[in-house]
Amino acid sequence: MPSQSDPRVLAKAPTVVRATGVSKRFVIRKEKSLKERIVNFGRSQKHKDDFWALRNVSFEIKAGTTIGLVGANGSGKSTLLKVLGGIIQPNDGTVERRGRLAALLELGAGFHPDLTGRENVYLNSSILGLSRKQTDEYFQSIVDFSEIEEFIDTQVKFYSSGMYVRLAFAIAVHVDPDILLVDEVLAVGDEPFQAKCMNKIRQFQAEGRTIILVSHSAGQIEDLCDRVVVLSHGNVVFDGDAAGGLLALRESFEH
Amino acid sequence: MATQAEVRALRLSELPFETSVNAGPKYVGGFFTAIKEIASHRELLDLLIRRELKSRYKDSSLGFVWSLIKPLVQLLIYYVFIGQVLGAAKGVADFAIFVFAGLTLWGLYSETIATGTASIVSNGGLIKKVYLPREIFPLAATGSAIFNFLVQMVVLLAAIVVLGQFPISLNLLYVPAAFVIVLIWGVAFAVLLSALNVYLRDIQYLVEVVMLLLFWASPIVYSWGFVVAAVKNHTWLLEVYLLNPISLSILAFQRGLWQAGSQTRVLEGKEVPPQDWPAYMDLRLLGAAVVGLIVLFIAQRIFSRLQGNFAQEI
Repeated sequence: MPSQSDPRVLAKAPTVVRATGVSKRFVIRKEKSLKERIVNFGRSQKHKDDFWALRNVSFEIKAGTTIGLVGANGSGKSTLLKVLGGIIQPNDGTVERRGRLAALLELGAGFHPDLTGRENVYLNSSILGLSRKQTDEYFQSIVDFSEIEEFIDTQVKFYSSGMYVRLAFAIAVHVDPDILLVDEVLAVGDEPFQAKCMNKIRQFQAEGRTIILVSHSAGQIEDLCDRVVVLSHGNVVFDGDAAGGLLALRESFEH
Repeated sequence: MATQAEVRALRLSELPFETSVNAGPKYVGGFFTAIKEIASHRELLDLLIRRELKSRYKDSSLGFVWSLIKPLVQLLIYYVFIGQVLGAAKGVADFAIFVFAGLTLWGLYSETIATGTASIVSNGGLIKKVYLPREIFPLAATGSAIFNFLVQMVVLLAAIVVLGQFPISLNLLYVPAAFVIVLIWGVAFAVLLSALNVYLRDIQYLVEVVMLLLFWASPIVYSWGFVVAAVKNHTWLLEVYLLNPISLSILAFQRGLWQAGSQTRVLEGKEVPPQDWPAYMDLRLLGAAVVGLIVLFIAQRIFSRLQGNFAQEI
């Protein structure tokens, strides 16, 4: 078991994320061009759909917890992750957080295909909040982790998808986050590399980092998380330990 | 092992909570908060500008030379066809320098707005995944426009020196003033339009058309004297013409760098008097700068209102 579940640490751990009454509404418009908007002006209510992705979600996360967000497709878990990360603004309620946050939402989102691996490492680290000096320090370690040293000065558009993902993951885990948001990206690369990623995640847990994880893999959730939040149609239907969470998740599928 | 976790927990417990940045301040101070936030990301801004410049001509053998070829060809076209064939150069001494000065400053403005407007949508991948102060994208576009402007500026200055008439006078102060005003207005529109473009993609095509039109609304290929002569019966039209801060800046820029415009020259046996520059130019420039700053402020406030939904609209 990871050592962060040591009750002594958890008992006095500070709260790092606090969501209070968070609601998010999406308005789905069916028209996009100016012509359509003018033609449908006045009747535009008909061309809008309201959809609550999150309704009145409240919880607190303590430092060092690994928390899994689960739910059926479209239950709002990725939206919640984005709201926690500050990428989407909630319509109602507030999200408070502290500490450095890094999002592993989609690996390589900041990569530019025409730049070399080396240039992308600097760009992506900077996007995730590292200074140039820090990147210089971590550079060798990032390259070693990704195991693609010989291609580091090649443009990334020539990379295989595996190499791409390796480099992106290597950067993300070197950012030294206090809170790490992970959206279904742990199943990357070949088996040895996956094992390496899992080791890194465990090391993160041991170092008291908070990990918020969205996953559909029951095995992964059971393995890593010490708390599970189950979402269904934007509502929190369960908040508790991993085993109970997976049970609640199966129940929510039946509705 | 627990010690590292404990150290982290202790450090975290002392940090203040920050409310989700996006819920951002809606009051006036939000403008300065945004500036502070951008300042703390200046290393990233620098990298984004480099990325923009590096990727633009990547894999082409001439590389940056291309960013010069376009304005030089433009210069050639305007010099030969508008200047010589259609006769706009008549009565304008050193027509080439005159046109290139105008084109250089106009290039800064139009590139800032055109690439700035598209910047948020074209960086959609990043905006959907990571929180960054989003103003950084139109600013990066501005940065690369400034770089291209400086490259052209070197050519322009070289041409002036080669022709042996470097305008060493107080008029030279008009050059930085014109640059700053164009930058303020360019950034203001880039920030505003980049946000609007997320909600209505037509904006970026509209901008192209409007910029084409505005090019002719400024004295770039025709001289100020031409405008004065054209509207001599309705002088109030001149005031309307000068309300455009870009026209005013281009005039100031020409006044600074195009020495022939402020001297009496002899052209084809005829004496050409110096340009009749608009009255109160300094005051007008000051006005354009102040109004520009107000517009920039408003643009940023609108941007920060709109950016909350960027991630889901892109």
